[in-house]
Amino acid sequence: MKPSKTGRSVWTLALVLACGWAILVPAQMALDRRLAPYRETPELLWIPSGNVLRSLSLGHNGLLADLYWTRVVQYFGARRLQRRTDFPLLAPLLDITVALDPQLLVAYKFGAIFLSAPSSYGAAEPQKAIALLRRGIQANPEEWRLWHDLGFIYYWDLKDYRAASEAYREGSRHPDAAPWMQVMAAVIEEKGGNRETSRFLWTEIHNSAEDETIRKNASMHLETLRALDDIEELERLAGRFRERAGRWPQSFQEMIAAGLLQGIPADPQKYPYQLQSDGRITLHPNSEVKLDYGPSPEAR
Amino acid sequence: MRSRQTLAIVLNTFREAVRDRVLYNLIAFALILIASALLFGQISIGIQKTILLNVGLSAISIFGLLIAIFLGIGLVYKEMDKRSLYALLSKPIRRRQFIIGKFLGLNFTLLVNTALMSVGLWAALYYLMRRFEPQDLSVWVAIYFILLELSLVTALCLFFSCFATPVLSAVFTFMAYVIGNFAADIRAFGELTENNLLKGLTTVLYYLLPNFSDFNVSAWVSHGKPVAAEVVLLNTLYALCYDAILVAAAVWIFSRKDLK
Repeated sequence: MKPSKTGRSVWTLALVLACGWAILVPAQMALDRRLAPYRETPELLWIPSGNVLRSLSLGHNGLLADLYWTRVVQYFGARRLQRRTDFPLLAPLLDITVALDPQLLVAYKFGAIFLSAPSSYGAAEPQKAIALLRRGIQANPEEWRLWHDLGFIYYWDLKDYRAASEAYREGSRHPDAAPWMQVMAAVIEEKGGNRETSRFLWTEIHNSAEDETIRKNASMHLETLRALDDIEELERLAGRFRERAGRWPQSFQEMIAAGLLQGIPADPQKYPYQLQSDGRITLHPNSEVKLDYGPSPEAR
Repeated sequence: MRSRQTLAIVLNTFREAVRDRVLYNLIAFALILIASALLFGQISIGIQKTILLNVGLSAISIFGLLIAIFLGIGLVYKEMDKRSLYALLSKPIRRRQFIIGKFLGLNFTLLVNTALMSVGLWAALYYLMRRFEPQDLSVWVAIYFILLELSLVTALCLFFSCFATPVLSAVFTFMAYVIGNFAADIRAFGELTENNLLKGLTTVLYYLLPNFSDFNVSAWVSHGKPVAAEVVLLNTLYALCYDAILVAAAVWIFSRKDLK
């Protein structure tokens, strides 16, 4: 039986479409490669003033602020992925965002984290983060948590414990402020930077953050603090072994046999710690726990 | 008797608008935009609800504005073009009833459209949050302010369409909307100058122009913040007064228009 005319035309059409597609896809791929230099956009802000943009938004400044905040997130994320350490547009983009919507708390809170984090994690510009948060406090005097964010940057990034204590004290005067704000002010003033205070602050950030990215960041710092505690304790036990045996332990098994350990100790990511021949404890090569990001050398 | 005649014009204007297919396209587009806000929130941090409310309220406002302008410019012109106005006015109907009926009819259409788009917004909000919170009620205030804004746009459109062609009416209305959004800036520029005449002129302009920025509370309510009752009352008073002035002016022009 011969195929019908309609059937033949359907097959012909399918063949044409398939052939066309087979040519189009590689052609587009080649075009993407060739046109890449033309498509590169310069890193600049066409309209650098948030106030001008606010006027031009014709009343849709809230929506525009959301778009700018999304641009901040994408910009920061993209440069982190490219392992870039410079973020020249971060502060101007944040300025525009909060000029468009001064009540967008998320931009102050997370923007300050992006700006203040050290160069391997962020823009390493804590002074700009402080300026952003002070602007947020001025626009949102009822938000006591912004004082906590401000105090945290003074504490963690600038190690300016007096300013940190003042920020916590100022925030604690707010009628809705959590009682621990006053405690933090006193503790930081008395002890400066120590691991316990850091742990409390990071736990508070972890528990109060609604966003998964920020929670993960806080978890990473809590892991660091736990690993630092573990390493300190393990090095102390290795020292005790040396006092007893007159030499450094060569493996954790020796320490277990000596009754100093219950089992092979593991870091917060479940990788076993490494014992060096001179009694130092290091992380497993696969472990992603960071040890170079502490509050201050004396706190370690 | 008179009010029944006006009501008939109101309902007829609504029916005509419903027959216009562009209306459905715009509503569908606005609803798609609101739904897309759910996806858009995924690529940002911590503002899923804020972004949904801002996109939703902006979509309601922008598409409402388009509907108000596109339907508003044809309110008088279409009736004249189709010559149905002559048949209408040969009946015991006054010209002012015609204008007021058209104005109320388009506002009723915008009310129904806004209600439909609001249902879409609230459905998207429920899908995202799985519950409503007491502070979400402020979103209704923002929607109410959008309606007040649209009634002003309708009045402007009707006013211009009484003496200009549809294209020019659309241009004039849109320009008035844009300039009205800059009213506060115009006054601020005047205050920056040393010239007292310019300062006075910009202040007069400020009070003369429809101040559309007064109705912009979307960003505020998207953070769950309440709007003061006094602001609601004052904005209502402002919009009603401005509407009354523009409709009265439109009636005055239309009553003297030579329809031969």
